[in-house]
Amino acid sequence: MTLSRRDFGSWTINGLGAAAFLHLLGRDATAAPKPHFAPKAKRVVHITLIGGLSHLDSFDYKPKLAKLHGKKLDTTETPDTFFGQFGLLRQSDWAFKPRGKSGLMVSDLFPHIAQHADDLTVIRSMTADSANHTPALYLGNSGFQFSGFPSVGSWASYGLGSETDELPAYVVLPDPRGQPNGGASIWSSGFLPAEHQGVLLQSGPSPVRELFPKEPQPGEADGRELLKKMNEFHAKGSGAGDLLAARMRSYELAARMQLAVPAIADLSKEAKETQSLYGLNDAKTRDFGRNCLLARRLLEKGVRFVQLFSGGPIAGSPRASWDAHESVKENHTIEAGMIDKPVAALLADLKRTGLLKDTLVLFTTEFGRTPFAQSGPDIVGPGRDHNKYGFSVWMAGAGLKPGSVFGATDEVGWKAVEHPLTWHDFHATVLHLLGLNHEKLTFYHNGIHRRLTNVHGEVVKGLLT
Amino acid sequence: MRWFTVVLFAFVSLPLDAAPPDFDKQVAPLLAQRCLDCHSGAEPKGKLDLSRKAPAMEQVKPGQSAESELWTRVAADEMPPKKPLSADEKAILKSWIDGGAVWGTDPIDPFAATTEHRAGRDWWALKDIRTAEFGLRNVGIDSFVRAKLEAKGLKPSPSADPRTLVRRLSFDLLGLPPTAEEIDAFAKDPSEAAYAKLVEKYLASPHFGERWARHWLDLVRYGESDSFERNEPRPNAWHYRDWVIRALNADMPYDRFAKLQLAGDVLEPGNPDAVKATGFLVAGIHNTVLGSNKIANAAARQDELEDILAAVGQTFLGLTVQCARCHDHKFDPVSQTDYYRLAAALGGVHFGERTVDAPEHAKRRRDLSARLEAIGQRQAELETAGRARAVAKRGSNITGIASPTHRWSFDRDARDSIGELHGDLKFGAKIARGRLVLDGKQANVVTGILKKEIREKTLEAWVALPTFEQGGGGVITIETLNGGVFDSIVFAERQPKKWVPGSNGFTRTRDLIADPETRLNEPIHVAISYAADGRIAMYRDGKPYGDAYTIAPPPTYKPDEWHLIFGIRHTGGGRAFLTGEIDEARLYDRALSTAEIAQSFAAGPSAVGVTLDELLAQLTDAEKEERKAILDEQKQIRAELAGVAAPTPVYAVNPKPAPPTHVLARGSVETPKAEVAAGGVACLPDADFGVPKDAPEGIRRAKLAAWIARKENPLFARVIINRLWYHHFGTGLVDTPSDFGFNGGRPSHPELLDWLANELIRSNWSLKHVHRLILTSAAYRQSSAANPQALAIDADNRLLWRKTPQRLEAEAIRDSILSVSGQLNPAMGGPPFHDVRTYGDKGTKYYEPIDPVGKEFHRRTIYRFSPRGERSAILETFDCPEPSALTPRRQVTTTPLQALALWNNSFVLRMGRHFAERVEAEAKSQEEKIQRAYRLAYGRDPSKDEAALSAAFVAKHGLTAFARVLFNSNEFVVIE
Repeated sequence: MTLSRRDFGSWTINGLGAAAFLHLLGRDATAAPKPHFAPKAKRVVHITLIGGLSHLDSFDYKPKLAKLHGKKLDTTETPDTFFGQFGLLRQSDWAFKPRGKSGLMVSDLFPHIAQHADDLTVIRSMTADSANHTPALYLGNSGFQFSGFPSVGSWASYGLGSETDELPAYVVLPDPRGQPNGGASIWSSGFLPAEHQGVLLQSGPSPVRELFPKEPQPGEADGRELLKKMNEFHAKGSGAGDLLAARMRSYELAARMQLAVPAIADLSKEAKETQSLYGLNDAKTRDFGRNCLLARRLLEKGVRFVQLFSGGPIAGSPRASWDAHESVKENHTIEAGMIDKPVAALLADLKRTGLLKDTLVLFTTEFGRTPFAQSGPDIVGPGRDHNKYGFSVWMAGAGLKPGSVFGATDEVGWKAVEHPLTWHDFHATVLHLLGLNHEKLTFYHNGIHRRLTNVHGEVVKGLLT
Repeated sequence: MRWFTVVLFAFVSLPLDAAPPDFDKQVAPLLAQRCLDCHSGAEPKGKLDLSRKAPAMEQVKPGQSAESELWTRVAADEMPPKKPLSADEKAILKSWIDGGAVWGTDPIDPFAATTEHRAGRDWWALKDIRTAEFGLRNVGIDSFVRAKLEAKGLKPSPSADPRTLVRRLSFDLLGLPPTAEEIDAFAKDPSEAAYAKLVEKYLASPHFGERWARHWLDLVRYGESDSFERNEPRPNAWHYRDWVIRALNADMPYDRFAKLQLAGDVLEPGNPDAVKATGFLVAGIHNTVLGSNKIANAAARQDELEDILAAVGQTFLGLTVQCARCHDHKFDPVSQTDYYRLAAALGGVHFGERTVDAPEHAKRRRDLSARLEAIGQRQAELETAGRARAVAKRGSNITGIASPTHRWSFDRDARDSIGELHGDLKFGAKIARGRLVLDGKQANVVTGILKKEIREKTLEAWVALPTFEQGGGGVITIETLNGGVFDSIVFAERQPKKWVPGSNGFTRTRDLIADPETRLNEPIHVAISYAADGRIAMYRDGKPYGDAYTIAPPPTYKPDEWHLIFGIRHTGGGRAFLTGEIDEARLYDRALSTAEIAQSFAAGPSAVGVTLDELLAQLTDAEKEERKAILDEQKQIRAELAGVAAPTPVYAVNPKPAPPTHVLARGSVETPKAEVAAGGVACLPDADFGVPKDAPEGIRRAKLAAWIARKENPLFARVIINRLWYHHFGTGLVDTPSDFGFNGGRPSHPELLDWLANELIRSNWSLKHVHRLILTSAAYRQSSAANPQALAIDADNRLLWRKTPQRLEAEAIRDSILSVSGQLNPAMGGPPFHDVRTYGDKGTKYYEPIDPVGKEFHRRTIYRFSPRGERSAILETFDCPEPSALTPRRQVTTTPLQALALWNNSFVLRMGRHFAERVEAEAKSQEEKIQRAYRLAYGRDPSKDEAALSAAFVAKHGLTAFARVLFNSNEFVVIE
């Protein structure tokens, strides 16, 4: 190596001339990115609910709403919903009960997750800037309402690098019913280097695309050997030193990835009890259970950030997401039925293996749903519209107050009134738990030292131990 | 984490007995950089505005610092809150107060001078381009480069060898490898003249535009789908891409290149190319899913405008103007007012398709159509006479009219009395009193499916309306079976009581200037003729109803794919049903002339039945001959019409009147402040456009274009010079090509930047002139060999002691693989090829990369359909940017996934087979084949060792496997 090593981020300002090629060598001690302070969490699993989970029917207990069922919401405001219909107030379709030692109120929509109430840190005062699906999803996943900005997982990868050479740092497991709207732009690395892009892991013989050729090719091993030798010949006459070395190493790592990825994706070696814990033996829970189990295996092997999606495309009938405009009861029963047991299994398994101590589990959605029905003005219809003013998400694991509730919405669960949080606050807290200062984790792009949190966000100390 | 040089303007310490500090020179800059971020503007913190004399002096007792709140808070380190003033800074403030606190310029202009924290109007990039000092001195790129090198004790590297130079030039200018012959020729004669000739050859190649347009498209985040929830494709966005390629190939002067992209539709409305150029303004993302909340939607529109402003500011000015949306720019002298003046200039920019039509083509079509109409009239006269004679012979009183191809008289049923398109009565549709009675709820009639193609056509009906309290219902409609494409006679769809030619998405619809319907309960004759050239004419009672118009060519209804419906606008349409009674309906497979329609009206609903043979039998020989001549001419004119370029839909700016633009406090639509007129950024000359606040939309953009693209704007030339330099050398003279502000890099060679900017202006903005200067410089032709001594001093090669090696971009890798495999399809321009499968429903689109086989898919990568979302693994892993963000500079990363993509991608493996076939065909012996493969891939012969190793591998695994190794090798993707 003839070039001087520089601070990881420095090449962005100093041009691509040389230092950019060092990226691949990011795991070398001198160049690996380090956290800003001692992290509580080393890895993240992010369960993202597409379409908008009703907080009123799951994690935000509102006895007053039941009393006001069938009454008009008392407001002069025109709420920013999507369809603009304001029916009468509607009580939860599920009963709430105090759970575990903490007595955390969780509804019967999630009976299995409820058993882990003592591990959850529920935020009941989330807010979103948009009540429109895709902008809201972009916002929750990247801090901006548009495509083109790096996702949380990309920032984590950029800030902390990977703990494994054999697997991507940021892995995405989509809902088998389809990708969320926007597709790969949701887990894009935006302007961050391509290595921080979310990598789709799918079922089939090539879980990561291009892991293997579609058909077997002659001379695989000899070809690699020849490639290495030809590159060595070439290096003697080339001025591109580090770039050449990085490319040669990338082929070695690629070969290791070809072994590691199929091994990870093969769930058959898991104990029967584990398989049934995740619901792999039940058609209803099999798909999401498989993804949850995969997530645990990936985290174990050093993957930094795993994102699971519950919900596919927004449009279409029947719905393939949590977008319960027509009927919360019908829609959420189906959706929760698919993920409740697997998510609970993941929590149990992470706890069993000790991983939960330094793993962060995130369970989020685009926005909540309205306390009033989406129906004519004098009707209590069965569906609810989008509600950006207040909704619930939860976190679990490293550094968080377990079995606790933070923030509150008003008495009917419409608006966050106590400690309203923005996605920027949420992201700042996630980065904080990863040992990263959200104001210092920056990347220069077109005149701005970009942050996940734009120019906003505060670490929510009230969530932390 | 970030390192950059900051020019520090340190405050000079003051001896105690000196005169009090000068307000404008010392105190105002201090306040500006340490206090005014919070204490100024529309809503200053603590309601304290320190930028204005009156409120500021309330905090100051002249001569008595100890009694002045301004000083006591500062002295106690309470203010500024996080980072107190230094001792020197404090000394200035104290001695100014104690010295009498004389205020200078009021209010303080925070942008006046550059400080430690931000750029002022004296910022280097805003200064005029140096001209005088270059004078007649014999300077060139190399004298500037050498001077900098010498200052550091460095020397330039010797020239690269001829093969390396040809490869460098070819990849740089064309994005493709040179041919072996080009390398051989230059190796034989590597003279200065031969090099210059090669430069000219490549600059003149059409591939040059394809290569350099790719750079431009990155910059403006050109994508071919909307992003967001629906992510619908933009099938006609490619016109902009082709325009860029053509403009760069033609060396369009850069000022014109810029102006047309900003306001081509206004500056040259008759020039289709100028309209295509405005694709720039709408190249970015656009949300087509809006909710019901007006404020949320207004905020979304502001977001969209910010994205457009960012593109304009960064692309042409290297200024991050979008940072001033919520507050004055934190680092550059761009005020919030500047931002909203730009927003006013661009406030009428909207996304969508529009039709372009060359005036000469429009005229030709008009002339031909007029002739068709005229001879059609004569034909009608002849046939009317013949028909009248036939009728007279039969003893009936029917006058002659044109013959429909299908006719429904609804006498007893919905049968087609001429053809086979019999109708089915649906949802309560019934026949009564010889009419089809439609209740406006769901009643309608659907006919059978036709096996013939139809394009040109006429729809005609007699219909009685019992009420005008209805809208949107169709009388007679021709449509594809799912209603996706249709043409219909519609009543009162967008304008009450008016007839209108309905069509899918209003693509062929225009609201007609005609009288509202007045006749109730009695049959009205309505007809629409659709000519092959796109002309649509509507008639009521045999007379033109509104003016005929041409907006888009008629769709072709293919055999087995269409039917007719009555009483509904189109299948699946909302508010689509007609309340009325149809007496008779007819379809003709051609566009009837005005005369024919008048005759048909005059004849009335039951006047058909004379066959063509009967009619012809009644014509004299002379009449028959005349009629035949007319038919021949019609055929000829129709053929000619088909050859005239049709009006073309293009994705480009869709200007609408701009609403009043207000400065928005904190960028929020809920807190509008002062209204502003369109204008520029005040740190650049002539920012006042002199237009009123309600100036027409077009004038605003024309003014903006003129203000940006001119030599008095120093950023305009500097920024493009730097971009050219960046692509040739891999690093710009300023290494942040779209940011010449405080956060950006500083120029490594400021004089060289200005000298080249002058050259650009002097050559009437010829970009090729600048390319030529760069390419023929010694700096460009240097070897790329490393030199430990130089690396130790300038590792990043900012001083250009060598040529930095570069890895090819994703597109160049794919194009090169196609090229060396003999598979590159050089066809230029036109609609993109799709190497993604588009799927999704209800207006939501997804794109899945695939590897389709066929010549069409072997075109250069710039012609690939480029939606937002997923890309092929090769593009993604080799740093092709997601086309949502402006990308003035691509990342260059190396990852295992990248290695896997190139090693295993089916396209690469497929091309390997073609490469092997080509080598087999072009060489005989095994040795020759190895040699040919090296020459194709690397432009050189193998060494002995390489040949031996390769031969052993080929003998065992074949040439295809060898091609895979070649494509993956460092030498294939790294250019020295």
